Amino acid sequence: MQVWWLCGLFVCILLVSYKSQLVHLIAMYVSMLTAMWLIFEYAPAEQMQGVVQKIFYVHVSSALTMFVAFGVVCVASIIFLWKKATWWDAIAHSAAEIGVLFCTLVLLTGPIWGRPIWGTWWSWDPTLTLTLVLWLIYVAYLMLRIETHDPKRARFAAILGIVGFVDVPLIRWSVEKWRTLHPKPVLMQEGGTTGLTPAMLLTFLVCLGAFLLLFFYLLRERAKMAQNRHAVEVLRQRIDEALGR
Amino acid sequence: MSESTVRMSGSKIFVRQILAVLGKDLRTEWRTREIFTSMFVFAVLVVVVFNFAIGADTELIRQVASGVMWVALLFSTVLGLQRARQLEGEEESLSGVLLALYDSSALFIAKTIGQMLYLMAVALAILPLCGIWFRIDFLSCWLGLCLVFLLGMFGLSIIGTLFSMITLHTRAYEVMLPMLFLPISIPLTIAAVYATVQLVAGKTLQDITDYLVFMGIFDVVFFTLSLIVFDFIIED
Repeated sequence: MQVWWLCGLFVCILLVSYKSQLVHLIAMYVSMLTAMWLIFEYAPAEQMQGVVQKIFYVHVSSALTMFVAFGVVCVASIIFLWKKATWWDAIAHSAAEIGVLFCTLVLLTGPIWGRPIWGTWWSWDPTLTLTLVLWLIYVAYLMLRIETHDPKRARFAAILGIVGFVDVPLIRWSVEKWRTLHPKPVLMQEGGTTGLTPAMLLTFLVCLGAFLLLFFYLLRERAKMAQNRHAVEVLRQRIDEALGR
Repeated sequence: MSESTVRMSGSKIFVRQILAVLGKDLRTEWRTREIFTSMFVFAVLVVVVFNFAIGADTELIRQVASGVMWVALLFSTVLGLQRARQLEGEEESLSGVLLALYDSSALFIAKTIGQMLYLMAVALAILPLCGIWFRIDFLSCWLGLCLVFLLGMFGLSIIGTLFSMITLHTRAYEVMLPMLFLPISIPLTIAAVYATVQLVAGKTLQDITDYLVFMGIFDVVFFTLSLIVFDFIIED
């Protein structure tokens, strides 16, 4: 019940934020601070893992935000190829950048948790491997944008954005299959996602909401910047033409 | 009636144009043998270097041989695409070919098949070498191997050709092609390597159905997707 209320509230906040940037900013700060308080003060320490488990809230929120970001890249890329409006290209580019940022956060917070719990910084577990491959794909996406000096750059990047996202379920399947061929190290156990108490669930949801609000805020600012940069480029071209260069 | 004849002749032209582009590429390759030579020598080098990296443990080498072979094929795909691009870039022949084509996806299909044929030639050449060097009997499971190699190499050729076209005009083509090609083809590589490992270990075709179906799905998904997006790469 509580979960549905929270989700409804989040959707309302998101809708209002879409209209007003100020509300978005305030909602983001308030939810961030609330999430911090919930993580460090309110949520009980997990019985087996102790305080280490608290990184879970940040880690999983980043991971889900990352998937949202890469999903946005794919959808914006499809719309861009279809409608050819540069605004959608700006959205895809910005979402990819922010997605890589969150992906990096996931890859950093994972080992911090894994070291005390699994006893190792890294394991080739399917989820970890998937995240690493995703990071490689989207870093390549950003590099492709830097390296192409072609009017078709946006189109090429859009194609990679779609192909990369279509690859996600395939990578997931293959790494799972691949992993089962190897014996599981004794030190390793299933991740601490199961058996969340209501207090933990509440903390997690607020944290996830805060991360998503942050993502959309960054996306909004970054896309606006990309759009401005594009406008400057167009103006510069026009000046060059007018001067007959 | 008249519409169906038009469509018939359209698809006939399509197939004929695929064959024409493919024939042109293969004829050039047959006269120079530049692409095959560089791919083959490179694949052999990769296998030899891995052999040194793994050490003298023959049992270990036998276990990783299939993986090494696929890595060699993966790298030589990249090398072959780079070589083909160099040859084409010298003459700017691609834009000429495109002008003559009825449907630009014919170019994609022809290039994919061409790339796959080069890969098959390389695979046929290095399989016996690996068999001798790593003491593996590939002949006992040749039918399964054929299936795995066909599905795997078709997928690699699709992804390779698609990204080769995308990176054609980037500044750092040599860097960008492998950076895009390798991560996207990871699922296919995993399936191909483990299917080969199991076949070599004496498993039957039924045991690797999962992998074969997966590779089939991968090929179909990316082939369809590539055909859909290919027009966006070509059009100005």
